[in-house]
Amino acid sequence: MRPVQPMRSRSLLALSTTALALPGIAGADAPPLQNTLSYKISNYKEDDLSRSEVLFGDLDRYDIDVHQFKLITPVGRNYALQVDANYESLSGASPWFTTQGFDGKPVVNLSGASGIRDRRSEISVGGSYYLENGRIGGNIGYSEEDDYRASYVGINGERHFNNDLTTLAIGLSYSDDAIFPTDAPLFNRVVSADKSSSSVFVSVSQIIDSVSTMQSALSITEQSGFLNDPYKLRDIRPGDKTQIAWSNSYRHFFLNADAALHLNYRYYHDDFGVSSHTFDMAWHQNLGDIFRLVPTLRYYSQSAADFFTNQDNFLAPLTSFQSSDYRLSAFGAVSGGLGLIADRGDWTATLTAERYLANEQYSAYEVKQPSTALVQYNRVSLGIEYSF
Amino acid sequence: MNLSLKRFAFTAMGSTCEMQIYAESRIHAKTVIRDMASEVHRLEKKYSRFRHDSFVTDINLAAGKPMGIRLDSETKSLFDHALSCYEQSAGLFDITAGVLNRIWDFRQARVPSQELIDQARSHVGLHKLKWRQGRLLMPAGMEIDFGGIVKEYAADTAARLGRKLGVRHGLVNLGGDFAVIGPQPGPAPWTVGIINPQAPDSLMATIELLDGGLASSGDYERCFIHEGKRYSHILNPKTGWPCAGLRAVSIAANLCTVAGSMATIAMLQDEAAGIEGLRESGLPHVYMTNAELIGGAGIQV
Repeated sequence: MRPVQPMRSRSLLALSTTALALPGIAGADAPPLQNTLSYKISNYKEDDLSRSEVLFGDLDRYDIDVHQFKLITPVGRNYALQVDANYESLSGASPWFTTQGFDGKPVVNLSGASGIRDRRSEISVGGSYYLENGRIGGNIGYSEEDDYRASYVGINGERHFNNDLTTLAIGLSYSDDAIFPTDAPLFNRVVSADKSSSSVFVSVSQIIDSVSTMQSALSITEQSGFLNDPYKLRDIRPGDKTQIAWSNSYRHFFLNADAALHLNYRYYHDDFGVSSHTFDMAWHQNLGDIFRLVPTLRYYSQSAADFFTNQDNFLAPLTSFQSSDYRLSAFGAVSGGLGLIADRGDWTATLTAERYLANEQYSAYEVKQPSTALVQYNRVSLGIEYSF
Repeated sequence: MNLSLKRFAFTAMGSTCEMQIYAESRIHAKTVIRDMASEVHRLEKKYSRFRHDSFVTDINLAAGKPMGIRLDSETKSLFDHALSCYEQSAGLFDITAGVLNRIWDFRQARVPSQELIDQARSHVGLHKLKWRQGRLLMPAGMEIDFGGIVKEYAADTAARLGRKLGVRHGLVNLGGDFAVIGPQPGPAPWTVGIINPQAPDSLMATIELLDGGLASSGDYERCFIHEGKRYSHILNPKTGWPCAGLRAVSIAANLCTVAGSMATIAMLQDEAAGIEGLRESGLPHVYMTNAELIGGAGIQV
């Protein structure tokens, strides 16, 4: 074939562009054909404690701003590159130790009068290679705070079966973390410590029919090293922890309502003794071609770790496990939220707000020792995604 | 290297098809050809509107459903290409035009009433399709037909697969849509003869291919004369009436898919615009006008 004259036909160029993108011609599966850039800002603010609950220290608890950037870009025909960058700034105080108050009830003492100020920066880079009927990928990342460093690496893959109706995904990841608490000599904290965690997950997704899908995933994580909270006056935990989580989701689209119901259930158990159930549901209501309103509701309950105490025992030997971390106590939590999504093709904007209330009275498990410092928080976020 | 030519003829997509490849081992050639042919059958099965189990049938059955239908990436890419054809032809190349074919009966040589034509035309127009969250929403009464794209795409796909399986010299012919894998050994070009619509036993031109593809569009197979006027089987989706442009077009391009789209667009346009578009493309082509004049460039007449 010899061009008679240089190609200068606009329609020829346009037709060649779309023809060359056809998978039988271009090769294999469907990597992203577009770049996607997204940014999300979230604010997470815990309710302050009241003075009656705190013996001394700041009443302000955590207030965290999170900025998340993500870029997904196709490289060649079969590869996609993803870059994530996160930045968090945190201020406030967290529970330092618990003691008996003047009335005999346990009270919490929050860390330093000036509270905590910290920044966390994280960057992760991942790549995917798209195959005939699947994808393999990997990522590496690094995260740094004033007192914490983590490096991690992961590989994952998925394969479609059964005419693309079934997808099997597996993944492995490993993280190596270093902890070096601030003001360690001053407060007799550990100067530096290490922790590592390895994780494996497998999931199966199934398209049931044109309006419903379900997914089930199992993950196992093994942590070892320094698992204590270095900022607590007395916090001694085992040096190994095995966690198992089983997550299930079901989605159903209702034609008449032009809306989708998302139902999720998660079971979690670890060998610290914590088990938990999470139920959540979301109703995705389409409103015209652009907007979607998403009310959400969640219930969570967990049992206490075997060594949880709501009153630190400073007389116990240093070899016996104990922690007054509220996250290891038995409690329940409910949260509700509302999201609004605007989709204009190239642009998507998402605004969400959530209110979370934890309380030992909401617990589905027996509460032997109620925690002193359960959190209530508000979270609002605004995200913008642009495809080009 | 001792290469020998292996040929295999089969029927697919309503046409006689042929694969030719040069290979050292006849057994290997046979497996490769079988794989290439099964790729053509796969696309036929997926995109034939005559099969009740095809995906195109599913898409057409989903017309008018509020939730529409979710498309896989291959079909999405075909829609992208169809949209590009639609845009580049100012709406003449329209994969939703199939409903018009039902009211024009070329065998009985009957012209339908204007009322019937207008009614059918209200169900035509690629711009009426809506996309929402990766799903196609097609208004009730509409249907799509990838017939004008898929045969050419299948030729390119089979050629690409052959290349992937190690073929360096080969030709895929799906009922007159060609995709070649490199030149013939030697090297020598593949010579494709273009049949003269007026005299189907003779050639109006030959086009030499070293790579890429060649496609033809013409109304020599199906047309009728009614009250002294020639009606092409190619319908203009904007008027609902047959086109009165070029009688036949063949064009070579980097891909058979591109050649096929260019040829179809040239046929749908009025004669002068069709010829201008072909000339402007700079690609080897041959055409026959309504007055049976043969023209072209980069060909052997």
